[in-house]
Amino acid sequence: MSADDQVLVGRSITKRFGGLVALNDVSIEVPKRSIVGLVGPNGAGKSTLFGCLSGLTRPEGGSVMLNGRDVTRTKPQKRARLGMARTFQQPELFTGLTVREHIVLAHRVRFERRRLWSDMVGPRSIMKPPASETEAVDAIIELLEIERLASMPVTALPLGSTRLVEVARALACAPDVLLLDEPLSGLDVNESEALARALVKVVTEAERDLSLLLVEHDVATVLAISKKIYVLDFGQLIASGTPDEIRSSDIVRAAYLGDDAVSETAAD
Amino acid sequence: MVQYIIAGLVLGGIYAISSSGLVVTYESSGILNFAFGSIAFFIARLYYFLNIQHNMGITVSAVLSLVVAAPALGILLYFALFRFLRLSSSLVKVVATLGLSVALPAVATTLFGNISILVAPGLAPQPVHVFMVAGVPITMDQVIVYISVILTVVVGGLVLRFTEVGLRVRAMVDSPAMTSLSGTNPVRVSVGVWAVSTFFAGLAGILAAPIIGLDSQHFTLLVAAAFAAVVAARLRSIPIAVMVSFAMGIATSLIQYYLPSSSVWTSRMITAVPFLFIAIFLVYNLILRRDLSDSTKVGSALDAAIEPHGQGVLESSEAAVLDASMGFIARYSGPIVVAIIAMVLPFLMSGVWLTLLVQAYALGIVFLAITLVTGEGGMIWLCQITFAGIGGLWTAQLATDYHWPVLLAVLAGGLIALPVGLLVGFLTIRLGGLYVALITLTFALLMESLYFTQGRFSNGGLGVNVLRPSFATSDRAFAYVCLFVFILVALFVVNLRRSTTGMALDAVRSSEPGARTLGISVVQMKIVVAGLAALLAGIGGGMLVVAQTAAQPVNYSTFLGVVWLAVVVSIGIRSSIAALVAGITFLVFPQLVTTYLPTAWSQIPVILFGLGAIGVAKFPQGTVEQNGEKFRRILLKQAKKRSDKKELALTSPQGEAT
Repeated sequence: MSADDQVLVGRSITKRFGGLVALNDVSIEVPKRSIVGLVGPNGAGKSTLFGCLSGLTRPEGGSVMLNGRDVTRTKPQKRARLGMARTFQQPELFTGLTVREHIVLAHRVRFERRRLWSDMVGPRSIMKPPASETEAVDAIIELLEIERLASMPVTALPLGSTRLVEVARALACAPDVLLLDEPLSGLDVNESEALARALVKVVTEAERDLSLLLVEHDVATVLAISKKIYVLDFGQLIASGTPDEIRSSDIVRAAYLGDDAVSETAAD
Repeated sequence: MVQYIIAGLVLGGIYAISSSGLVVTYESSGILNFAFGSIAFFIARLYYFLNIQHNMGITVSAVLSLVVAAPALGILLYFALFRFLRLSSSLVKVVATLGLSVALPAVATTLFGNISILVAPGLAPQPVHVFMVAGVPITMDQVIVYISVILTVVVGGLVLRFTEVGLRVRAMVDSPAMTSLSGTNPVRVSVGVWAVSTFFAGLAGILAAPIIGLDSQHFTLLVAAAFAAVVAARLRSIPIAVMVSFAMGIATSLIQYYLPSSSVWTSRMITAVPFLFIAIFLVYNLILRRDLSDSTKVGSALDAAIEPHGQGVLESSEAAVLDASMGFIARYSGPIVVAIIAMVLPFLMSGVWLTLLVQAYALGIVFLAITLVTGEGGMIWLCQITFAGIGGLWTAQLATDYHWPVLLAVLAGGLIALPVGLLVGFLTIRLGGLYVALITLTFALLMESLYFTQGRFSNGGLGVNVLRPSFATSDRAFAYVCLFVFILVALFVVNLRRSTTGMALDAVRSSEPGARTLGISVVQMKIVVAGLAALLAGIGGGMLVVAQTAAQPVNYSTFLGVVWLAVVVSIGIRSSIAALVAGITFLVFPQLVTTYLPTAWSQIPVILFGLGAIGVAKFPQGTVEQNGEKFRRILLKQAKKRSDKKELALTSPQGEAT
């Protein structure tokens, strides 16, 4: 696969916290219009890798390419404008806004950036929003099936719903690549199936040109929807490949369950 | 020279006790106690009350005030205030402790009498014994300071680091809930920490009184210095706090040695010392591009689950649901009613009341700036009064000395404040909320003592007179001018709040990582809000000067600014109506007290303003929001009843038919 086919590439990323090596020479590629999974036990460095890719954490070594452009030293807000969005493991929502306002704000920052400043002096805040905005926002609400939450303030939502809001807000930025940090944790079985379906749908939809990089503990779901999977352990990339390759990898089993447990799990 | 260094070490030692007391309480409770100086003053005043006013001996007075009263005060404050603050936002913590710092000196004055104290004795018997060490005189007071410093700082540090008690205290920092699960009573530990903390404060106060004088205003300098040390210690390191404290003490002393004692510059330079230390620290951090967060996320997930954010968040989300279901009239009934009252009031009032009302409307404009920067921007700025001062003093300069049209001068005053706001914003932008509060506080103190004291502003103590515009010279006419400007500014702020800008500000305020990954520049948003707020505060300050028809630099003391913030927050930091109500409350209420109550009660308004701010700990939204909500709820219930009745009337015949 040539570099042009990759929307996001991390090369040899290294990050240390004091003496602890959180990431050691990790490389990762996200092809266009695909779902890529990133799995690993707790403390493997998944969230740190997300931080480095989205720019909130500065790595000591390595580079990040977004749509073929080197963004290693680019600020997170600039990366967002270049087509990267992310969600957080601990939801980072805006406490004073309703669910719908989250999506509206993200949409405007992406498509009508001027309004961040021009609205301050004009009366536009009391006028009806443009039809294109309403359409785009409604489409996202419909896609994630959160119609009944739309007018609620986010402080009133349970954890599962806040994850949906994070995904909705990220989608409203119309990113080329969306980094999802454990979007399924805190969701019940039905909710998590619905979200997984929606994620597959946004990637396969014709009008969007979106890739997902998914960090998740629910390995079964990741294996089910991802095209390619990377496995991290203690800051090292220990395996990568298609879901089938990962399923049959002894190294992965050893990392998750310990060497002794590998033979036992075969019986499960 | 040696003598000056010894004196400097004494001053530094008192700073060291204060700053390490602040660091220990911050470390163990997550609360930076802005009332530390006031507690110090309160205990020192009590000591004076017992020792001098009631002729009790030094030992008895010291034991009563330090060993009995100080810990008791700490325990009382823990149960009445600090225990509610643990998981509150930085703003609530800062404002509640500021409220305490406003109320305590007034309480002390009310309890112990309003007398002017020229000389306050320390812990040494009078006349103070003087030792000669290698030809250098050292007083008994100084020896006592040295011993106290060694005892508190060294022994305290060792206890915290190496003993079981220290371990428990440090465990509390991370999670009281987990601590209690492992068999330690978190309440007992907290009570202990606060009792020790107020003891530190009291000790610092009694030791400082002979040097800086027993006056609550002078104690702000003590606190500014302690805060500077705390900032340099990045809120956590006791050794650094102690070292910086000594450095500041010696620097202060050397200034007195090298500069002539008669020069005004000497006293100005002394007040500037804490700020210079902070400035060095800030520049150092800017160069290294280090982010300074105060990481106030005390408590684990378990703590948050046991003690959820309290009623505040739930109620505000309920209110938002309520708002969404309400019509235009119901939603804006409050503001409309208040606006109508504000229009009618100037007709109903006269004399001194009307004069105060004019000023109240002008002050409301400054308060709008506070709601903008703190309510919308989420920045805890304690120097809004400085911008009002710059605007006001320059309005007078331009209107009177340069003969500009007065309203143009008001606008120009605001424009002069604007770049200062941008500068402060730029310097503090990468810092956490507590640092911002500390630095803006010391900045305000610096401006108060260095800039506002210039001869051109004070005019020999008379101030600069300002004439009102010729079309509105009477109080009544100018009240409407002020109200007009207030409404203009309020509409701007309300529009901003509801606009895309307002949403983006909400984003920045509630989650910086969230905002940044969305593509919003946190730095841009904050700097713009800082600049706008400085502009509006400047304009408000200008209007206030024109309302008062004179510009007096003494009207812009940092302490007063703290009271302003306390009043605004306790009435409602995110409401324009609250800004107006706060303006009226702040000016009219004290007049009511002085007119109708005996003079012994003169401190009551200040105490109540302070208590109001302390109340923020329990009701973070402020009274206007609280009551406004209740009011709207009643309206909504009425409307619901009516519509239910209608439905009933419509559906009941069918019900009977089937």
